[in-house]
Amino acid sequence: MLELEHVAVDHGSQRALWDVSLQVRERELVGLLGANGAGKSTTLGAIIGLYPAASGSLRYAGEAIGGRSTSRNVAAGIALVPEGRRLFPAMTVEENLAMGAYAPTARRGVREALARTYELFPILADKRRQDAGELSGGQQQMVAIGRALMSGPSLLLLDEPFIGVAPILVEEIIRALRRIAAGGVTMLLVEQNIHRALDFVERAYVIENGRTVLEGGRDALVGNPEFSNKFLGLD
Amino acid sequence: MRRLGGPAWKMALFLAAGGVPLAGNAYYTTFAFTILIAFVLAQSWDWVAGEMGYVNLGHYCFYGIGAYAFAIVLVAKYPVVLAMLFALMATAIAAAVFAFPLFRLKGDYFAFGTLALLPLAEVLALNMVPVTNGSDGIVLPPDNVLGEAYYIALAVCVATVIVTGWLTHVRFGYALKSIRNDEEVAEVMGIRIFPVKVAVIVLAAAFAGLAGGVQAWQMSFIDPGTVFGLNVALVPVAMALLGGSGLLWGPLVGVLLLATMQQWLLVNVTGYQATIYGTVILLIGRFMPGGLLRASWVRERRWLSGLVQEHHERITGTGAARQVSGQLPLAVRPTDRSRPMLECREVSMTFGGNVAVNAVSLSIMQGEIVGLVGANGSGKTTLFNCISKVYEPVGGGILLDGRPLAGLRRDQVAHLGVGRTYQIPRPFGDLTVQENIAVPLMFGEDRLGPREALDQAREFVAYARLDARLTDRADALSPQERKALEFARALACKPKLLLVDEVASGLTPMEIKRFVELIRDVRDRYGITVVWVEHIFSALAQVVDRVIVLEQGEVIADGVLGDVVKDERVLRTYLGGAAQKAAVGHA
Amino acid sequence: MTLEALIQVLIGGLLLGGLYALVAFGLSLIYGVVRILNFSHGTLLSVGGVLASLLYATYKLHPVFLILILVPAFFAFGYLFYAYLLQPLERRSHFESTVGTVLVTVGALLILSDLTAKLAGATQRNIPLRFEAIEIGEIVISTTQIWILGGIAVLTVAMQVFLRKTWFGRAIRAVTQDPVGARICGVDSSRMKAATFAFGSSIVAVAAVLYSMSFPVDPYMGFGLTVKAFTIIILGGIGNLVGALLAGLFLGVAEGLTGFFWKPEWAPALSVILLLLILVVFPKGLGRSR
Repeated sequence: MLELEHVAVDHGSQRALWDVSLQVRERELVGLLGANGAGKSTTLGAIIGLYPAASGSLRYAGEAIGGRSTSRNVAAGIALVPEGRRLFPAMTVEENLAMGAYAPTARRGVREALARTYELFPILADKRRQDAGELSGGQQQMVAIGRALMSGPSLLLLDEPFIGVAPILVEEIIRALRRIAAGGVTMLLVEQNIHRALDFVERAYVIENGRTVLEGGRDALVGNPEFSNKFLGLD
Repeated sequence: MRRLGGPAWKMALFLAAGGVPLAGNAYYTTFAFTILIAFVLAQSWDWVAGEMGYVNLGHYCFYGIGAYAFAIVLVAKYPVVLAMLFALMATAIAAAVFAFPLFRLKGDYFAFGTLALLPLAEVLALNMVPVTNGSDGIVLPPDNVLGEAYYIALAVCVATVIVTGWLTHVRFGYALKSIRNDEEVAEVMGIRIFPVKVAVIVLAAAFAGLAGGVQAWQMSFIDPGTVFGLNVALVPVAMALLGGSGLLWGPLVGVLLLATMQQWLLVNVTGYQATIYGTVILLIGRFMPGGLLRASWVRERRWLSGLVQEHHERITGTGAARQVSGQLPLAVRPTDRSRPMLECREVSMTFGGNVAVNAVSLSIMQGEIVGLVGANGSGKTTLFNCISKVYEPVGGGILLDGRPLAGLRRDQVAHLGVGRTYQIPRPFGDLTVQENIAVPLMFGEDRLGPREALDQAREFVAYARLDARLTDRADALSPQERKALEFARALACKPKLLLVDEVASGLTPMEIKRFVELIRDVRDRYGITVVWVEHIFSALAQVVDRVIVLEQGEVIADGVLGDVVKDERVLRTYLGGAAQKAAVGHA
Repeated sequence: MTLEALIQVLIGGLLLGGLYALVAFGLSLIYGVVRILNFSHGTLLSVGGVLASLLYATYKLHPVFLILILVPAFFAFGYLFYAYLLQPLERRSHFESTVGTVLVTVGALLILSDLTAKLAGATQRNIPLRFEAIEIGEIVISTTQIWILGGIAVLTVAMQVFLRKTWFGRAIRAVTQDPVGARICGVDSSRMKAATFAFGSSIVAVAAVLYSMSFPVDPYMGFGLTVKAFTIIILGGIGNLVGALLAGLFLGVAEGLTGFFWKPEWAPALSVILLLLILVVFPKGLGRSR
C-alpha cells in the first residue's frame, strides 16, 4: 500500500533524510524506530505531504504522492497524528475533531465519524464542549488520534503518540489502536520505547542519520545484536 | 578600476561632499544636504534594525523630537551649539524612556509598538501648544544658514560613518549581532541584554535627533506634520531597506537612489509623486527585499563587490596562523568529590496544566560526570532549561556550588559558571565559527576584547576539530559540525558546570568515541563537572560515574550505570523488555 | 455637563468604537492566518469611504447597494493583492519576507492614499443622508446612527456565526491556533491565506460605507486607523472577535469621553498611549486567541 524508495528530504539547506526506503502492506502494523533526530518525524511528514521529497519516490495505493499537497493526501486516505499533537487549544474537543473531517469528501460524514470517535474514546464525549487546551496529556492524545480518524483514513501515521501520557491512559490508547487496526486501518508507528513498539507492531524499520538501516519482524530484531547495538547502544 | 567601497572611494566621497557648498549653487547644496540628513537617519536606524534585528518603525520620531528641541532653544535666543546639545539630550532621554516599555516586546509586537510612537508624538506636538506652538509650528530665525548647516550635517554624517565602522569590530557590536541571531542564546552566553538594547536605541536616537536639529535650522520652519507625518516617517526605513539592511554600504546606496528619485520627481512630475514613490518601494519589496546590494545580479559584478560586504566580513584575520597549543585557556578547577557542584531541591516546572518537572531532587558532586536519561518528554531538557535559567522554576530551588540561582538572570548564571549546549544546535548563524566561540569569551568573566577573544577562540576551534571551518558562517555547517561548534562554544563559557544535551545522536561510533574522550578530557584536565543528557547508553557507559533516570518529570533511578540498567522500574518504563536481556548480558 | 449630554457622547463613542472594531476584525483574521503586518489595511477604509461617498454623490445609491458593490470589489482586490504581491515573499528567508511585506504594504499605503486623493480631492467628504432625529428626553439620536449601530451588530453576529458554524470560519480559527495542525487536517494553506486576506478586506468595505454615513473620511486617515486597529487586536487578542469588539467599543467610548471631559484633540493619541501602557504590562497582549 505504501512504498518509499530512496527518499531524500531537505529542510531548507540541510538534508534531513538521505535514503529512506520502506514498505507497508495493507492492514499491516509497522514500526519506525530510531534515535532523536534520525529522521522519523521527517519521514512521516514527507508521506503526508508536509515536506516535498528532494529525490526518490513515494507511492501510496499505486499512485505517486511525492510532491502532492497535504490536502490531497488526506483526501486520498492518509492521516497523521503528529508529534506534540498540534491541537487547536482554544477550540472545543468537538470542533477539534470536526476539523479532522475538513476534507470535502469527509464533511458529509461528520456526524457518524464523531459518533464513532466518541464510542472509541468515551471520555471525549463527556468533554466535547471543553476547550482542548484544558485537557490532560493523555486526553489530548485521544483527541489527536480521534481527529486523524475523522477522515476515515486507510493509512494512519502516528508520531510518538505516548509522550507525556500517563501510563493508565497509555493502556487505553493502545486498546483503542488495536480496535482501529482490527477495523482494517494500516498503521505506521513512530515510537521511542522499543518495548512498547515491538509489542504492538508486527515488524519495524530502524532509521539512523536519515537512512533506513535495519528491518525485521519483532523476534528477528530483538535477537539481532546489531539492533541492540544501534538502538540501545549497549555494546 | 579600483573596486568600489575601498578607502580611496570613501575619501573621494568625503571630499566631494565637502566641496559641494563651495560651488555656490543653493539648489545642489540643498539637495546634497537632504542626502546627508537622510543618510544619518537611515544608517542610525539600521544600527538597531540591521545590526540588532529590531525593526523600529518609529525611529523618525526621534528626528522630530530633536527638531523641536533645537527649535525651542534657538527661538529662546540661545546659541546654536547649545540648541544642538539640547536636541541630543532630549532625544537620548526620550529614547531611554521609551526603551523600557518597548523592549518588553518582541518581533511583530515591537514593530506595532514603535509604530505607535509617531502618531503619539504628532498629537503631543499638536497639543502641547505652550511648548510647541501646536499646529502653527515654530518659525526659526531665518538667517541664511545653509552653508553652516551643511557642514554640521556633514560632520554628523562622518560621525555616523565612524560609528558604523566602529560597531563592526567592538564588543558592543558583537553583542548586537548575537542578539540579532538568537537573543536567548546570547543571554545564556553571558551577554546582559537589556542595557545593550537601551544603549543602541539611545545611540541611534541621538544621531536622529542631531539630524532633526540641523534640518530644522536649515528649513527655518517646523510643524507637527513636517516632522512626524507618516509620508516622511517611513522613508528612511525604506531607504535603508532598499539598499540593504545590515550591509555596510546598504543605507548609503538606498539613500542616494531614493533621494535622487524623490528630487527628480519633485522637479519633473507634478502630482502623483507619492504614487510613483510608493510604487518603487512596493516593487523593491516584492522583488528585492534583501535590498539592492543583495540581489544576485549585483553580487555577480566584481567591481561592486566592495559594496556588498556584510558587516562582519570586514573583520580582518587575526594575523598569521599562529600555533595552536592544544591546551585550552581554561582554569583548572578543584574537584572535591564530597562537595556538590549542583543541587536541585524539589525543583518543579509547569507549562499551563502540564507538569514537566515534578519535585526533582538530585545532587551532582564536583568533578563528576553524570548521565541524565529518560524518554522524550521526561523532562530532561526542561531541567536543563531550569538550571540555565531559560525557564524560572515554579517550585523548589537550584544551587550552583552552594550559591542559589533563584531570581538570577541568564547571563548572571552564565557568569557563575554554567555552560550548556542545546539539543538542536543554536549557533549564531550569520557569524563565523570563530566569532561564535569568541562571543562567550568576550562576555564571560574575563571580558576579553574582540581581537583577543578571536585569537583565543582558535584554541577552542582546534579542540573541537573545526579548524577547516574557522572562517565559515555557522549556518553553513553540517549538523555534526554544528554539534561540535555547540560544544566548543559551551566550553568557551569557561564553565564550572557543563550541561551537554544529546550531542551524540547522529554521530558514527568513531565520532561518538572521540566525543566521549573530549568529555573525559574536559573533566580530567580542567575539573569541569559534566551533566550529560543522552540516550545512547554505550556512549554514557564509557565515561559516566553515575546515571540519573527521569520519567514523566520524576527521578526514578539514581546510581551507578550497572545498577541502574538492572533497576526494575527503569527497565519497565524506559529500556523495555528487549533491553533487559541485553542489559543482563552486559552486566 | 448633563447626564443626557454624557449619554449622547457615549452613543457616539459606541458607534465610532464599533466601526473601529469592524476594521480590527478584518485585520485580526488576516493577521491570525497570514501573520503579516498590513500597513495599508486602514487605508482600505479611507479608500472605501471616499469611493462610497463619490458613488453616492453621483448616483444617489442607497448604502445597501454601496455595500453590495464594494464588498466584492474589495474581496477581489484583497485576493489579488495577497496572491501576487505578498504570497511570493513567503518563499524567502524570514528576514527578507518581513522586510518585503513592510515595503509592499507601505508602498500600497502611499499609492492608495495618493490615487484616492487625486481621484476625489484631499478634502473630507461623507455620505450626507437625510435622517430623522429621534428624541428620548433630551437625547437626540438620528436614524442614521441607529442604522449604523444595527449594521455593526448584524455584522458582528454574522461574523461569530461564520467563525463557529462554517467550515471556512473554523478553518480560519484552526490555522490561527496551529498552522501545522490545520494543514494535516487538509486545510490548503495558501488558498486559505489568500481567501482570508480577501475576506478581511471585504469586511473593511462594509465598515467604510457605514463609517462615511456618519463621519467624514479623507484619503489620508488610513494610517491612523491602522494603528487603532492594531491596538484593538492587541487588547482583544488575535483572532478573538468578542475581545476585539469590546476593545473597539472601549476605545471609541474612551475617545469620546476624552473629548468630552478634556480636549478633543487628544482623542487620537489615546489609542497609542493605551497601546503602549497595555503592552508594558502585558507584553503579549491581553486576550487569548480564539
